[in-house]
Amino acid sequence: MKKVKKNRGIDAIKDKYGRLFTTPWLIGLILFFIIPMFQSIYFSFSEIMVIPGGIESVFVGLKNYKQLLFADPDYTQLLSSAMASFLYSLPVILLLSLVLAIFLNQKFRGRLFFRALYFLPVIIASGSVITWLFKTTSNDLNNLGVSESYTAAMFSVDDIIGWLQIDGQIAEYITQTISKIFDLIWSCGIQTVLFLAGLQSIPRTLYEASHVEGATKWEEFWFITFPMLSRVILLVMVFTMVELMTNIRTAVVRKAYTMMDNGVFDTTSAMLWFYFLIVGCVMAVLIFVYKQTLMRRWDV
Amino acid sequence: METFLNGISEKTAVLLKSKSRKAGKWLYSLFRLAFLISVGFVVIYPLFYMIVTSLESNTAFLNSTRVWIPNELDIVNNYKMAMECLSFGKAIISTLKNQIVAALLQVVSCSVVAYGFARFEFKGKKIKTALLFLTIILPDMMLLIPRMVNYSKLDFLGILGLFNNLTGIDLRIDIINSVWTFWIPALFGVGLKSGILIYIYIQFFKGLPRELEEAAWVDGSGPIRTFISIALPSSGVVIITVVLFSLIWHWNDFTLSSMYLSDNFPLAVMLNNFEFAMNNHSYYFVPRQPESMAFVMAACVLFVTPMLIVYMILQRWFIESIDRIGITG
Repeated sequence: MKKVKKNRGIDAIKDKYGRLFTTPWLIGLILFFIIPMFQSIYFSFSEIMVIPGGIESVFVGLKNYKQLLFADPDYTQLLSSAMASFLYSLPVILLLSLVLAIFLNQKFRGRLFFRALYFLPVIIASGSVITWLFKTTSNDLNNLGVSESYTAAMFSVDDIIGWLQIDGQIAEYITQTISKIFDLIWSCGIQTVLFLAGLQSIPRTLYEASHVEGATKWEEFWFITFPMLSRVILLVMVFTMVELMTNIRTAVVRKAYTMMDNGVFDTTSAMLWFYFLIVGCVMAVLIFVYKQTLMRRWDV
Repeated sequence: METFLNGISEKTAVLLKSKSRKAGKWLYSLFRLAFLISVGFVVIYPLFYMIVTSLESNTAFLNSTRVWIPNELDIVNNYKMAMECLSFGKAIISTLKNQIVAALLQVVSCSVVAYGFARFEFKGKKIKTALLFLTIILPDMMLLIPRMVNYSKLDFLGILGLFNNLTGIDLRIDIINSVWTFWIPALFGVGLKSGILIYIYIQFFKGLPRELEEAAWVDGSGPIRTFISIALPSSGVVIITVVLFSLIWHWNDFTLSSMYLSDNFPLAVMLNNFEFAMNNHSYYFVPRQPESMAFVMAACVLFVTPMLIVYMILQRWFIESIDRIGITG
């Protein structure tokens, strides 16, 4: 009898304190996140005039979107180029950071040094510094999204392609990827850290058992590491997509910030929401496919 | 390099038994090292480039043999110029006041929220978790405009606006261009990238043994005291990680601060607008042009150094802590 009462006591405490710990956050979330979110959606459907001490808005329906998609000459083009770079950056970043994390998780001399080294991009990459690095080495001031010249300063891609005698479309793709390699490697910092933390949480005993059974390294990776990481991969995927989307070197984002600076609030809102909608759709499709194919196979 | 040498000595020692397996292992570690070094090269190159360029004098750029060792130094002039253009002293005070305080506030507030999520079952937990994911997915960029509008007349749910309409007394405060634009959201745990920080905390708290804390409740110390005196002291590793992430993200952020502030910009904004500052000192930025590059790179070094120092100090614990946070998704 006494025990039951105590248990109920703990549940009541949990309920009370659970709410106590999270309610302030919820209030902040409503004030600084939920309300602005709906305002922003409303702005995208209205015409906004900036008046002294505030703004005035008139609801105009889909006008802003129509203008962007049918009247604006470069918006759709900016969108498609953003999506293209988005779609090929994502797999490369995921793969690269996973491979790096697996290597850095193994025991060898100098691994602490390499771990320290690979976090450096996180410190530098997410700021104005990287923009300046591109600017100083590029001839084209208006095309800052391009890191080609930077890679070219390090090594010549064409020489390697010529030497390997690859031609046609594949060579084109390789050239493109390699010339963006600087950008890509520099976007792997946090992802590598998250993967490393994920790898650490896989129980050792699984590997020991598979070792006894005589599994090869490849089987170990494919049947233990990959399935156990599947949820972390999902997290890293979402994180990377958001990072790629908000990257200041994306032309759409740069244009949006310039317009914001100039006080154009309505069209900018519409521009950003449409961009987010498209990225969100791609995100949803990717996550759905990932869950349906890989995660269902492992049943996690 | 050492792995390489080990590999060689190992190879000669075990030539007699299981030769192929050892050779495979040796090849693998050679490949791993080569991979790590080549990726490491790409990582370290810009840093070297930045430092070397910032040290050189104008004439040194004309020398085509210059690669890694700067031959004509002009450190004083470059850095003096860079500091002037950045208005370094003022900018760093602004960064400390706005960004760093917010970053640290956020470390505290996020831990509280995450503890609530990780330890307790409560009504509405599911919907709150869904909202947490929404904060991770929806970037701050989307909310900048309404936030700017709201901050210029801080009004909770329109109550003060209604009060203004009825009585004509305007109680709405203008917090734009003040530290509160950064502090208040951070205090509530909804600041810059707070979602991912809360998530990291949750993952860690879930891994802490529950029994100790529950025993403490039963013995009469309330959950708040348990959180402060039992959970927090044993989560040093995750706190280091979150402090580092929060500091770096706040330090590097220039989009929010360039929108919210109108003067006394922090360092990141100053660096972003460096071109204008240079123009004001009648220098013009031309890509691949000697003089301007040295100044810009000196400014970049100045900007990066404080965070590099913080990283070097925290790095030892941070690298250990990665092993112990254990994210399981």
